[in-house]
Amino acid sequence: MISIQEKVADCLVRAGSTFREDQKDAYRKAIAIESSEKSCWVMRQILDNALVAEERRSPLCDDTGIPHLFLELGKDRSVTGELLEQIKEGVALGLRQLPGRPMAIMGDDYARIDQSGGLNEDSGALAPSPILIKPINEDVLRLTVLMLGGGPAIRGITQRVFHKHSVDVVIDEIVNRAKEGVSKLGCSPCVLAVGVGRSQFEATSLMMESMVYGDFSKQTDFEKKITEKVNEANIGPLGLGGKHSVLATFAKIGPQRASGVRIVALRPCCCFEPRRACVEL
Amino acid sequence: MPLIELTTPFSEEAISQLKVGDVVTISGYIYTGRDAVLPKIIKAADEGRLAEMGIDLQGSVIFHTAVSPAGVGPTSSNKVEIESSLEPLSRHGVKMHLGKGAISKPTIEALKKYNAVFAVIPPVTALLESQTIEREVVAFSELGMEAMNHLKVVKYQAIIGAAKGRSIYD
Repeated sequence: MISIQEKVADCLVRAGSTFREDQKDAYRKAIAIESSEKSCWVMRQILDNALVAEERRSPLCDDTGIPHLFLELGKDRSVTGELLEQIKEGVALGLRQLPGRPMAIMGDDYARIDQSGGLNEDSGALAPSPILIKPINEDVLRLTVLMLGGGPAIRGITQRVFHKHSVDVVIDEIVNRAKEGVSKLGCSPCVLAVGVGRSQFEATSLMMESMVYGDFSKQTDFEKKITEKVNEANIGPLGLGGKHSVLATFAKIGPQRASGVRIVALRPCCCFEPRRACVEL
Repeated sequence: MPLIELTTPFSEEAISQLKVGDVVTISGYIYTGRDAVLPKIIKAADEGRLAEMGIDLQGSVIFHTAVSPAGVGPTSSNKVEIESSLEPLSRHGVKMHLGKGAISKPTIEALKKYNAVFAVIPPVTALLESQTIEREVVAFSELGMEAMNHLKVVKYQAIIGAAKGRSIYD
């Protein structure tokens, strides 16, 4: 019987080394219709990289990312402290197997901020983010591991939008923020992960959820509109120009506050993201 | 797109023929360096200590990357410590700076002055790992994954991002 730790470790390695089929198809379709030779060359390199990474079970990118965990919980399932500990051990095992870039910062609060405590050489020492738990109507306990890189974290933004009772106002603000983020990110084509909620925490949680469930082949009108408007900027893969600055938008819109403000979390995911995989525990 | 095959060390003539938008393959030995190590390499070069350190920059490539168990991949070349290295390292013989992101006009002019180029390489770690056949730390090992490494590579693909005073981002 495969242990929880081994299941989680395998899931993390898949997240860090594998493109899903909808992701590969998105690249193939983009390459087929892109008129810029430079853009096509970049996207072919990214797709070739994914095929090699999958075959070798090796990292898609040398910034292997910080593990973020999303746990879906059926109503007859339970989470214990022991299970959470096993998941944590599985993450450490997976980081060593991938291998993850050793980038756990050592030391006290001050040393971790200014990085004066140095880096732990053990890939597995990298702590995962706090875990998000979502109740679902399935008889299952399912863990999704997301590996979130540093570039999108630098360019991401969570901020209010005064909506003026218009969806278009919110979309336009997302587009403006996305154009700036994508142009500075470098590692495009991007996927825009968006969460719209009532607080910074809720919007960010929804943005995480959008990355867990997002599918390149299933785009809502809201998502399509954002993608199309950002692509008008002609930023292109690696900023070299072309129609494909963004391959898709993954958006999750939650409950909203009775007020004139919406909190929008936006992460311009890099050309490999969302790096995710899931496993039933 | 046609590929221009290059093998290190690069000659003045090979570099002078490159123009913005050319896609090249790079084979042979290349150096790595980023924020932490490049200023130290410049200081050593200015003090004439590179030979004793076993480093020869003539006709060389500097790849702006860390080298970790996860592999290699370009970091942004427009970080202050990295971009400011392009002029002095070109003066000391580096012919190709390999990274990503737009660099400034003064830096592009400095590359032109020394017949050097900036090339953009996609962050394709798995592919690059399959094309890297040797790696060795050559200087400042105390910097860990940011130490200077010497890699032997086979047909890394890159696009010329700045040459002859022009930029692909213009």
